[in-house]
Amino acid sequence: MNINEFINIFNDSELVDNKIVIKSKLYEAVEFVKNNYSYDILKEIIAIDNEDFGIELIYHLYTTVDEEDLFLSITVQNEIVSIVDLFPSAQADENEIYDLFGINFIGNKNLKRLYMPEDWEGFPLRKDYVQDETRLAWNDSDNV
Amino acid sequence: MTLTTFKLNLGPQHPSTHGVLRLLLELDGEKILSCEPDVGYLHRGMEKMAEKLSYIQYLPLVDRIDYLAGFFYSELLCRIVEKALNVELSDKVRVIRVILLELNRIASHLLWIGAFLMDLGATSPFFYAFREREMILNYFEKLTGQRMMYNYFVFGGVRKDIEFLEDIQNIISILPQKLNDYEKIITENPIFKRRCINKGVLEKNVALDYSITGVNLRASGVDFDLRKNDYLYKGFDFSSVVLEGKDAWSRYKARILEIKESIKIISQALDYLSKNEKLEQKLINPINLKLDNGEYYQEIEAPRGIASCYVKSVGEDKPYRLKWRTGSYYSVNLLRKLLVGEYLNDAIAIAGSLDIILPEVDK
Repeated sequence: MNINEFINIFNDSELVDNKIVIKSKLYEAVEFVKNNYSYDILKEIIAIDNEDFGIELIYHLYTTVDEEDLFLSITVQNEIVSIVDLFPSAQADENEIYDLFGINFIGNKNLKRLYMPEDWEGFPLRKDYVQDETRLAWNDSDNV
Repeated sequence: MTLTTFKLNLGPQHPSTHGVLRLLLELDGEKILSCEPDVGYLHRGMEKMAEKLSYIQYLPLVDRIDYLAGFFYSELLCRIVEKALNVELSDKVRVIRVILLELNRIASHLLWIGAFLMDLGATSPFFYAFREREMILNYFEKLTGQRMMYNYFVFGGVRKDIEFLEDIQNIISILPQKLNDYEKIITENPIFKRRCINKGVLEKNVALDYSITGVNLRASGVDFDLRKNDYLYKGFDFSSVVLEGKDAWSRYKARILEIKESIKIISQALDYLSKNEKLEQKLINPINLKLDNGEYYQEIEAPRGIASCYVKSVGEDKPYRLKWRTGSYYSVNLLRKLLVGEYLNDAIAIAGSLDIILPEVDK
């Protein structure tokens, strides 16, 4: 794909290492590369908690036509638009990130706690998650 | 909801769900109107644990992500570390790893054949497939001391030199005859064909949209095999199996053909090993192992689709963040689409044909 053309259109984006960092318009960017550069697989969405900088989401796309990978990165605080209607596979990733990082994907109506119990407090993969003895089931003597 | 529709829980203890998959089906009579997969019964917090453990402490754990194809996940973690420290593997290490990965792939596909036929109600193929798989597991036990969780690949190479090559030779000389037997008993069986042909048709664009990779994607006519560009497989002559059938039967056939390709790869690797070169490897000292600041990414063609590992390091002896991609997780998500409009009795065959394994889904 022509990275310069992409950066011209989404002019707040830049190339850092091998990923394109965008500031906004995630949905439009994914739609653009899907339609114009035939990126047809969303391999995965990676979430990283960068503490003070917010939570970084890396969208890893791939094209079976040109056999190229593309990493689109965006930093969010608590919510971001969902891309489920562009790539249905995002349902799996978005639900996982919702469960483990507490990010709300606007437009995805199917989000629920996946691995954690429904009444679980906190999001385990966030860096401010406190893992102490009160979390252990056998310490919960009051509720037995 | 009208009076004729009702909800049915399939699983999580149902034997045909290969572990603990729960499907919440909405049915109209026997026709499926919607499917909602519910996963997470086997969640062990693999990604959270990685942030608490050093790389060498974490290495024995990763075999357990997919206990039927453990080598692939140790390979991923080892490759991440080797990539970060710029360690090149010698040819002999490469060949040893390829042999073990491909044997593991065969064992995994064999188990799938047995379990899939069991799902369809045929009990004997299960025992045939397990008999062949047993040979491979016995060999792994002889070499690594473990039948399933091998912990044999280490950063920079393998734990010890490969041995008992005559056992591998024996396995790959027996397997082709057994596969011919399968073709006679299973592939051309009219009942099997009727239950599989045109069932669970996975169109090419749907497969891509749902991020399906591996054998399932290739059985839908997309030639996408990571092994072709993998430096581990450089110099090996094999072709990736691409079929156009798109249905459960093609996915079965593709796995049989893929076993044959794996046998080809292993016999080439054995030819190389017969030269009796000395094992040269630059093992990385895991005690003070720290990865430089940065992000590392590696993917590999696992039996159930692409598996990948992402590591972000901030220069400590533990990963700052580690993420796994596993093929089965996306296959489960696909069931939302693939089961709609099918009949309940086909649901098992369709879900089974995708080769879902739950520890990999739940991580």
